[in-house]
Amino acid sequence: MKERKSAKVNLQEHQHQHQQNGHLSPFKLAKLFDPDASWDKDQLGDVLHWIRQVVAVVCGLLWGAIPLIGGMWIILFLVLSSGIIYAYYAVILKVDEEEFGGHAVLLQEGLFASFTLFLLVWTLVYSLAHF
Amino acid sequence: MATALFSHLKYSDCLTVVGISIFTAVVCEAISWVLIYRTSSYKSLKSTIDKASKKLETMKTTAPNGAAAEIYSKKSKTKKIDRVETSLKESSRDLSLFKLKSGGVVAVVLFMVFGFLNSLFEGKTVAKLPFVPFKIVQKMSHRGLSGDDMTDCSMAFLYFLCSISIRTNLQKFLGFSPPRGAAAGGGLFPIPDPKSS
Repeated sequence: MKERKSAKVNLQEHQHQHQQNGHLSPFKLAKLFDPDASWDKDQLGDVLHWIRQVVAVVCGLLWGAIPLIGGMWIILFLVLSSGIIYAYYAVILKVDEEEFGGHAVLLQEGLFASFTLFLLVWTLVYSLAHF
Repeated sequence: MATALFSHLKYSDCLTVVGISIFTAVVCEAISWVLIYRTSSYKSLKSTIDKASKKLETMKTTAPNGAAAEIYSKKSKTKKIDRVETSLKESSRDLSLFKLKSGGVVAVVLFMVFGFLNSLFEGKTVAKLPFVPFKIVQKMSHRGLSGDDMTDCSMAFLYFLCSISIRTNLQKFLGFSPPRGAAAGGGLFPIPDPKSS
């Protein structure tokens, strides 16, 4: 059976880190790909948020530079970005989503911000590069 | 400055809009920092919420062990959870009230910047959208523009995109975004709990 990672195991450590910085704590890069590492809700949320923003910028740059035109590419971005997030927490980290409030909470993390960021970058690159 | 550098481009105005939005976002966060985030009462409130939400989480996940103690502990546990939940709600409400103060100032700044940009780019196409937006969005993206080309983008839509994406990410980067526990505890006007009355 899949081992469930308890949030309270590293509670003290996380609290300490949390007070230090409030958001992205200086954790090791290796932890990002370590399925055995334990996560607390804030850390995982922050990591997912930033992954989504990076995906948004990369997709926006690509879509704008090619350029891809049409509403269907927005849907492709949403599917791609959600797919990456899902693959990250479910396949790479193997976290138990129930512990973090279910799939909806994890997939919503940073969704709106990344969506607007994607539209912004796409529009900017498209307008500047092709006119 | 951006406009001078990229003046040969047709839609160089969009860079000006983005630049002004970034600047405004930084100014707004600075105002919020002065009025809220640096105060000790905000810090203590935030740590209270963080602690309470974490406590609540651990209380809900840890199951009582021992069959004999189960009935007794179950009762006291629900009571305890209720108590922590109420205090969490109260703190979240205090936090929202606290934020209302700077929210007013920030709203005034944003409104002024919007008016300024409006006077600069009224009726001008600042960018070209690579897609045709929905009917509802068109009202904003085609605001004040003449012509039927729905891929023309007005300043209002670009400013909206900028202000949301830049501000959210800046807040997140600086660690100013509201604590996650507060979102769950209800905002300024929480739904009244029939149990508590």
